[in-house]
Amino acid sequence: MLKEIIRFELDYRKKRPATYLYFGILFLLCFFAVTSKYVVIGGVAGGQIVENSPYNLAFMTVIMTFALTFIVSAIMGVPVLRDFEHHTDSMLFTTPVSKFAYLFGRFFGSFLVAVLVFCAVWMAFILGFAVGKYLPWEPSWAAKEILPFNFWHYIQPFLTLGITSIFIQSALYFAAGTLSRQTIVIYVQGIVLLVLYQIADTMLEDIDNKTLAALLDPFGFRAFQIYTEYWSPAEKNSQMVGLEGVLLWNRLIWVGFAGLVLAGTYWGFSFNVVRTGWRKAKAIVAEKATFRPESVKIPVVQQFLTTGSYLKMLQQQALFYSRMIVRDVPFLGIVIVGLINLIVGAFYFDKMYGTSSYPITANVLGLLNEFDLFFLIIAIFYSGELIWRERSVNFNLIMDALPVPDWVNLVAKFVGLFLIYLGLLLILIVVGMGVQAAHGYFNFELALYFKSLYSSTLFFLVAYTLLAFFVQIMANNKFVGYALMFVFFIVTFTIGAMGVQHPLFMFNSGSLGEYSDMNRYGHFVTRFSWMKLYWFTFVCILFSLSVVFAVRGSEAALRTRLRIGRLRLSRPLVTFALVTIVAFTGTGFYVYYNTNKLNTYQTKEEEEQWAVDYEKTLKKFEHLPQPKIVESNLKVELYPDTRDFTAEGFYWLKNKTEQPITDIHIQEDVPNDVRTDYLRFGSGEAKVKQQWEDYGYTIYQLSRPLAAGDSVRMDFKVNFTTNGFTASGGNTSVVQNGTFINNTYFPSIGYAEAAELGDDDLRRKHQLPEKDRMMEQTDPRGLSQSLFGDDADYIRFQMVVGTEPEQIAIAPGYLEKEWTDQDSLGNNRRYFRYQMDVPMVNFYSIVSARYEVKRDKWVGPDGKPVNLEIYYNKGHEYNLETMLASMKKSLDYFSKNFGPYQYRQLRIMEFPRYGSFAQSFANTVPFSEGIGFIQKISDPEKDLDMPYYVTAHEIGHQWWGHQVPEAGVKGNAMLSETQSQYSALMVMKHSFSPELMQKFLKYEMDKYLQGRAMERKKEQPLVLTAGQGYIHYNKGSVIMYGLQDYIGEDKVNAALRNFLADWQYPGPDSKQKRYPTSRDLLGYFKAQTPDSLQYIITDWFENITLYENKATEATYVKKGEKQYEVTLQFTAEKYVADSAGNEKPVPLATQWVDVGVYAKDKEGKDKLVYLKKHKVTAKDNSVKVTVAELPTKAGVDPINKLIDRHPDDNTKKVNEGSPTT
Amino acid sequence: MQLIIQNLNKTYSNGVQALKDVSLTINQGMFGLLGPNGAGKSSLMRTIATLQEPDSGQIQLGDTDVLKQKDEVRRVLGYLPQEFGVYPKVDAETLLNHLAVLKGITQSSERKEVVKALLQKTNLYDARKKNLGGYSGGMKQRFGIAQALLANPKLIIVDEPTAGLDPAERNRFLNLLSEIGENTIVILSTHIVDDVKELCSDMAIINKGEVLYKGSPQQALANIDGKIWEKRVPKAELEDYRTQYTIISEKLVGGTPVIHIMADTNPGNDFAAVQGDLEDVYFSHIFGQKPAVPVSTFPQTN
Repeated sequence: MLKEIIRFELDYRKKRPATYLYFGILFLLCFFAVTSKYVVIGGVAGGQIVENSPYNLAFMTVIMTFALTFIVSAIMGVPVLRDFEHHTDSMLFTTPVSKFAYLFGRFFGSFLVAVLVFCAVWMAFILGFAVGKYLPWEPSWAAKEILPFNFWHYIQPFLTLGITSIFIQSALYFAAGTLSRQTIVIYVQGIVLLVLYQIADTMLEDIDNKTLAALLDPFGFRAFQIYTEYWSPAEKNSQMVGLEGVLLWNRLIWVGFAGLVLAGTYWGFSFNVVRTGWRKAKAIVAEKATFRPESVKIPVVQQFLTTGSYLKMLQQQALFYSRMIVRDVPFLGIVIVGLINLIVGAFYFDKMYGTSSYPITANVLGLLNEFDLFFLIIAIFYSGELIWRERSVNFNLIMDALPVPDWVNLVAKFVGLFLIYLGLLLILIVVGMGVQAAHGYFNFELALYFKSLYSSTLFFLVAYTLLAFFVQIMANNKFVGYALMFVFFIVTFTIGAMGVQHPLFMFNSGSLGEYSDMNRYGHFVTRFSWMKLYWFTFVCILFSLSVVFAVRGSEAALRTRLRIGRLRLSRPLVTFALVTIVAFTGTGFYVYYNTNKLNTYQTKEEEEQWAVDYEKTLKKFEHLPQPKIVESNLKVELYPDTRDFTAEGFYWLKNKTEQPITDIHIQEDVPNDVRTDYLRFGSGEAKVKQQWEDYGYTIYQLSRPLAAGDSVRMDFKVNFTTNGFTASGGNTSVVQNGTFINNTYFPSIGYAEAAELGDDDLRRKHQLPEKDRMMEQTDPRGLSQSLFGDDADYIRFQMVVGTEPEQIAIAPGYLEKEWTDQDSLGNNRRYFRYQMDVPMVNFYSIVSARYEVKRDKWVGPDGKPVNLEIYYNKGHEYNLETMLASMKKSLDYFSKNFGPYQYRQLRIMEFPRYGSFAQSFANTVPFSEGIGFIQKISDPEKDLDMPYYVTAHEIGHQWWGHQVPEAGVKGNAMLSETQSQYSALMVMKHSFSPELMQKFLKYEMDKYLQGRAMERKKEQPLVLTAGQGYIHYNKGSVIMYGLQDYIGEDKVNAALRNFLADWQYPGPDSKQKRYPTSRDLLGYFKAQTPDSLQYIITDWFENITLYENKATEATYVKKGEKQYEVTLQFTAEKYVADSAGNEKPVPLATQWVDVGVYAKDKEGKDKLVYLKKHKVTAKDNSVKVTVAELPTKAGVDPINKLIDRHPDDNTKKVNEGSPTT
Repeated sequence: MQLIIQNLNKTYSNGVQALKDVSLTINQGMFGLLGPNGAGKSSLMRTIATLQEPDSGQIQLGDTDVLKQKDEVRRVLGYLPQEFGVYPKVDAETLLNHLAVLKGITQSSERKEVVKALLQKTNLYDARKKNLGGYSGGMKQRFGIAQALLANPKLIIVDEPTAGLDPAERNRFLNLLSEIGENTIVILSTHIVDDVKELCSDMAIINKGEVLYKGSPQQALANIDGKIWEKRVPKAELEDYRTQYTIISEKLVGGTPVIHIMADTNPGNDFAAVQGDLEDVYFSHIFGQKPAVPVSTFPQTN
């Protein structure tokens, strides 16, 4: 019987076009994903990770089997529901089919169909990789060697991960459809699954949650990611993803759960047509009739059909629909699930190294935006429901014959939904404030909530609702309507990838941007307003069309509807349509005028092409000898209100070469659209020899060659002028409050290598040679220029900055004078003159904002006072004390251990959250409001104090980078970033508990291991890091912390002190005649390292070394009162990886590794009672140590100082063992 | 006021011709539209109710062009479709009140009164707080009637209203209609001959989209007077009779078939003359030969 039912199901599906449609969707999507750049699945391949690597195939398979979960729901939700909907239930249930055969027949039949449909995934992948090269549209891997075909690579992930995922989804959708007998419940359940996935994602902000997150995701996607997170590119290209570890557990748990759900469905399914409800229907008692119907007279009533009564009808209808939606169980389901998602998210607020931010309203708004997905579902789903409301219950003919004007019907549906949106937004605000209150934060910015949600979000809802109305009306079939909306999203996405990115073509474009407490919504408001007006008029036109074409009565053919529609063209409707069409066209032109005429508009492809052309045309000038800037003296006039500035003044350029120089090459800042008003050399006799306006590149020919050692003054004026608004939203550096620019806006000298395309896949596509990220350490050109570029070594600096009277403007150097003045238009201006009294690197910032100032003082060991200042936005006082404390502590530590601080002042200035970083300039540190200023250290014992750390790091740069700028070659960042990281670590080490340090290093280790797994080019050893943050920050922290642990903090500091003494202010003019490299520093480390530990310099800095330490057994024997002998057995292995991550084991030789024993303290927490380095020479080891407390755990490298991908197996529980001799 | 339908044609996209050159003139009072299922009754009624477009033809209600001035028609229209559903989670009083607003009864006191009266009239008053989802077929049908009577319509179109009503309900409903029908145009479609017989002063028989007869029931009966012949036949011979005569009706009486045929003169063969009733008129138009008097000779009433 079971078999027959299965066969019936298969036969039925075989005849359904939908089955083939689903297969087709999957097949095409997957086929295009592997053969074109327009469709991307996962986007992890590229660079080193080969597109058809087993890892990428598995990754794409996992994504495809969950991202298109709607296909599973469509197949699995309906097999039983179908019988109810087609009313075949009575006929079927009276046949002698058993419940078991019926249910499981339907289930397995449909499941089989689902699996067959999803076979499209691997089939398309195989075909795609087989024929991709020969297709007219080029896949990204066209010019690249891919792996030979291996069938198992395609089918294995489908069998292990794909089918299990389909099974799990199948069981859940089947249960939902069967038990609820309602389509919508199936969808709601799909949403629940996605939310679980989302929650798993959110939880990952805290790395301690990895295992839980991996288990929580029903699709196994998170588990997959976590299982493979440390896989190096080489492993990804060669290993298959087996069912092991968290991945296996995840699959077991969810497949088991799915099995239970199926069993539950069997028990819960009633084989009756009419179900007994869960609740007893309550008896409704109404007063009994005391009349005879025959004797009742129907009163004569007045009928009002005027505008007033139409409005009354509108209100009545709208409220009727609103009520209907509110009472709809699935609606409540979606809302509740969405809110749960928000509330879970509220626990993981903007985390950084596990530390949350304050729930300031800007952050909460970011959180509330996560509800947008649910809003979209509600908007699209209930638009369809409302359009079909009357027809779905077959009440339409009665409704349609009522004397209600056509527009009232549709407007009422819209208003009904609109009221729902208003209510939901209000709920969101309450939730937002609740989240704030729960965090103990009571600065409710109600106005901001309303301004943001009731503009941007509400508009988004209105736009999608009216679009969905239109689509539903034109499609005239609810499910076709939904499908068309889905197609709409895919098409929008695809045309975006294909180069149609102009906001005029991207539905509902023009975001309000991120809210910054400093700059508020800033200049985004203008673009937002125009774009929204544009889209609003657009959806109004759709609405007019909807009114004309709306079905009223029983006519569905489009032609007939058009004929009826003509009768609806009342004067108001025609006027409305005309006005909106005119407004739409008008705003469209206005937007175009702003984005394309006042500003230049470039698609991504055009930008790419620009970079290619730039390189091809001008690369030849890259290494021409050019003079260097030795002085910068500018007057910068900032106009924050209009977002303009001008910079006028001069550079002194000096010919530091041996040859005379005639041609000077000047590069304008083209990406930021800075224009040159004038530029002249000396007394103005240089002429333009050649100019490329597109590239902002000009060659000036001096009338008299600049002799070796001579200087020439370069006078110039540049302007940055904001005209209207741009397509992308515009520059976020020159803003109304919180301008932060640096000298890249000003003219620079010679070819800008930074403008070239960096990605090798892209470079291959444009027939450019692959390129290294940086120059080799032996390259003399690299050694003669610092990381700040080849424009200058050190400069004399002074600057006048003018700004609005309410703002304070800051540049490096010391404030010499402050005054106010009036410009030619009579506006008040405030001026600041800064001057630096020592040479500094050619890297300076200009910030301006309405600041509050916090001042303090630090006195150095030499007795010289240093003024400490923090310029912050009012309201962001939270961490000022912490930052000041960190400034003092850092200055203390660095000046004592490395050398004196070179300036008399140290300033931190807050800038808007458009960037989330802090950056060190000479005696000034711009610091983003998004980090540090609003971090919340709720528990100093558990939370890492991020502002303390970031401040210490940036102050470290005043030494590492500003006192010792390094050569612009590979490994450079090991000198600046890694040493600043080390400096901060030492400040932290002397302020934080060891547990917190361990926590910090755990994050650093995780970031390093994840970073190397994603490397697109080559992983370098630390000493050769090439702009790879995961190496010079994260691995750098781990290594430097390990180094000071192994050889001693004093020794490391001594090495750094000696290095600084020898290499302070290096460069071609210094005694070494060059800038230092990481190898230079390594020499100083080696000098401080005892012979027995010299190997760590090689292993840690010069190689990519990975350890595999594992405790295998731990026992203890009580030897006496307070005397326990612990025997620990462990294995130690060491691997060296190449740049792709291919590992080979290397002999241990003689190594030192920590052995530790834990006991419980009074509060039951783990504490180390023994930690000492032991000598290790072979893989298997046994160590005996005696401790004074009852041991609980013991392990090798227990606090994970060495780079080890499985730190969890380093320790083991200690069991009582039999005494051994 | 008069409803004049002229040369109405409608062919559906599947090729079915629902209306073939239909012309009717309908006066105030009850008008019965009689025809079997699928005859085109509903198409005709939907067209009059502004819910469907004819391919060609004219409909005029008084001075109003029904096909163009739809809003004017809807003001005075009460419509009960043949099949309709309701919002299951809304109670009758709420929905009726809602519909009353949409009919333009915006004064709440008046609305309350009329809603109450209609619920009483249709005997739903006791169940007014009950969700419509829990209504029986008959109750739902009565609700449909109640809504059609909102706002004193001048044109009432009721499509198969008695289907699904029990005999008592049916009687009550027909009485209600006749009460209202005095100064209103009431068009009642049905395939139950008795509905028309009991109520209508005027009628039309329609089949396969064509009007086969129009006139008063009395006239129709007069037309077949003396032409209906009846005979009891053994089951075994029924087939022979079918080939021999055009049987207009065939029913079992006590297990034996009784057939009616129509003939101007005595067909012999032991057929007995009977008094024809409206059913015979109906069947004769649908299955049998046309009555001797051509339709066109009927007096036109316009």
